[in-house]
Amino acid sequence: MRPVRVLIGMLGLDQHEVGAVAVARLLRDAGMEVIYLGRFNLPPGIVKTAGDENADVIGLSCHSWEYLHYIDELLALLRQQGLSIPVVVGGSVLTAGDESLLRDKGVAATFGPTSSAEDIPAAIRSLVTSARRP
Amino acid sequence: MTERATRSRIPLKPVYGPGDVAELRYDEALGDPGAFPFTRGRRPPEQGASAWIQRELSGEGTPSRSNAQLKYLIGTGATGIDVIGDTPTMAYLDADHPAAAHAVGTQGVSLCCLDDYRQLYADLPLDGLTVSQSLPPLFGMAGFYLAARERGIEPARLRGSIVQPPFYCEDCGYATHMPFPLRLRMTADSIEFASREMPRFHAFLEDTYYISDGGLDAVEEMALGFVEIRHVVRELRRRGVPVDAFAPRVAILVNCGMDFFEEIAKIRATRRLYARMMRDEFGARDPRSLAVNIASHTSGLSLTAQQPVNNIVRGATQALALALAGVQGIEISGFDEAFRTPSPEAHLVGLRTQQVIALETNAARVADPLGGSYYVEALTDELERRIREMVARIEGLGDPGALCDRGWFRGLFQDAMERHARDVREGTRPQVGVNVHRMAAHEDTLLRDVAEQKIEPSREQVGRIREHKRSQDSRGVRGALAGVRRAAGNPGENLMPAIIAATAAGATIGEMAWVLRAAYGVPGDPFGMMESPL
Repeated sequence: MRPVRVLIGMLGLDQHEVGAVAVARLLRDAGMEVIYLGRFNLPPGIVKTAGDENADVIGLSCHSWEYLHYIDELLALLRQQGLSIPVVVGGSVLTAGDESLLRDKGVAATFGPTSSAEDIPAAIRSLVTSARRP
Repeated sequence: MTERATRSRIPLKPVYGPGDVAELRYDEALGDPGAFPFTRGRRPPEQGASAWIQRELSGEGTPSRSNAQLKYLIGTGATGIDVIGDTPTMAYLDADHPAAAHAVGTQGVSLCCLDDYRQLYADLPLDGLTVSQSLPPLFGMAGFYLAARERGIEPARLRGSIVQPPFYCEDCGYATHMPFPLRLRMTADSIEFASREMPRFHAFLEDTYYISDGGLDAVEEMALGFVEIRHVVRELRRRGVPVDAFAPRVAILVNCGMDFFEEIAKIRATRRLYARMMRDEFGARDPRSLAVNIASHTSGLSLTAQQPVNNIVRGATQALALALAGVQGIEISGFDEAFRTPSPEAHLVGLRTQQVIALETNAARVADPLGGSYYVEALTDELERRIREMVARIEGLGDPGALCDRGWFRGLFQDAMERHARDVREGTRPQVGVNVHRMAAHEDTLLRDVAEQKIEPSREQVGRIREHKRSQDSRGVRGALAGVRRAAGNPGENLMPAIIAATAAGATIGEMAWVLRAAYGVPGDPFGMMESPL
């Protein structure tokens, strides 16, 4: 089976990249392939790259509140294009309220400040396993 | 910690004694406060070490909402202000830019045009207040200059500062999407302009805070800061600006993390390094050129989303270190910084913390109270040595401007980010509530409610800027923007007068930045979504 491919990106003008870089490294160390898009993305670009690159998971790192406003557009674009790629959102700014709101909107998993380095790759692996199962 | 070392990995002994400072010669290495090499403080002791400017980083929503916030802070005893732009403003994009939509006013104030500056500074005593600006240098200065002049305040009387981030902003701060030669020119032009027209204003504020808050240690923070300062000083001298014309108004905004004595030693070492560099390498003669003004903002990276109440203790500890180090200004990060732009509660706690330290502890009643401490002096020496060596190592690799231009520094930041995350993950850097003394989420409730209150993006400001662009005198604006383009095309010309004229004519930051980027051969809009304003 080919390695899990994860696209990591940040939305809008969110600038704080510390978490995105750390998580990209963490996933690479866990044997995954990371497509690192970095900062300054908008939902259409993320969705297009995820489709072109055949990503298994889209991982959004956030350190501003912009993700709350972009997430609906991003999920709608994925649906429109028939892409069933799970979206996960992580960032130390996520509050308990944010995490439940994002999951209600259809985000597959969230990683707030209490998530550990083991949680993130494990959760991504289990998402991909259930998505690949026929 | 298994090994005994500072955050910068300087090995520590269990105790320090006379042997550790045996070679320390008072006049050369220390000097009295207010005397070369200023290790013990920028000012003579009789001027009072506890008289630092107390302020809090502020700005949210529309300019008028931020104006109310500034008035509130002054009303609670702030003795200066520090305004930060929202992420679109810091990226030189207007509020109506499609990529800015959800970021307007959420992490700072949106400042697009002159009317925004008028509203931001309305009724503030601009001639009696220091206005620190975490804003784009040319544009923030033009807005400040014009808003003050309209109210009859001579620009020559304005005090405050503005950050100059030509080297590292793209990688670790606020990306401007501008090429390096343009960024360097904007810095040098604004400093040169201020040296003539705004002589009391610190237009040369080296901001090592944001360099550091990606995870760099104290040595790396100051080494990178000095590399940038030295490059800008050389550029100004190359243009023929006398060093004593701008050096008295150089300031450094440093970070302050949790390694208490290392941060104090860092500030003392920085003053000494700066004094020696300015005198011996750059030939400054005016004593004011040798004594750098140091202010600090406490570290956001040290704050945790877990048990946010602990952040109040962290802010107080860091502020005490700064008071003991004898700085000219302090800002304490909001205790809620791990989740949000500071709430009014966090601002108030930050100011009250400073007031308690200044008024109740007597900690800074005596200048440089830790001077002569075996440990602090040994650490100051070691930090100075390591910072100087790292500067030499970087400059030995070639022209630092060229290193910056080809992204060399980005590797340093990436390494630091990864190192910080690993140290926290593996527990080599203890963080209470994160990797030690953890608490179950359902018990971790103290001050949680503050974190759930969010600042909505300011749709009102987006509407205001759209309306401004519809109603402005488009011929006048286009003429003024053509002036900016002409000035940009002539490297010998200072950009400030053209930017001031365009701002006065109603041009917006997005329009002026578009013209500047295009003049330097890069896309006017980094997202390719806005038309040319010309």
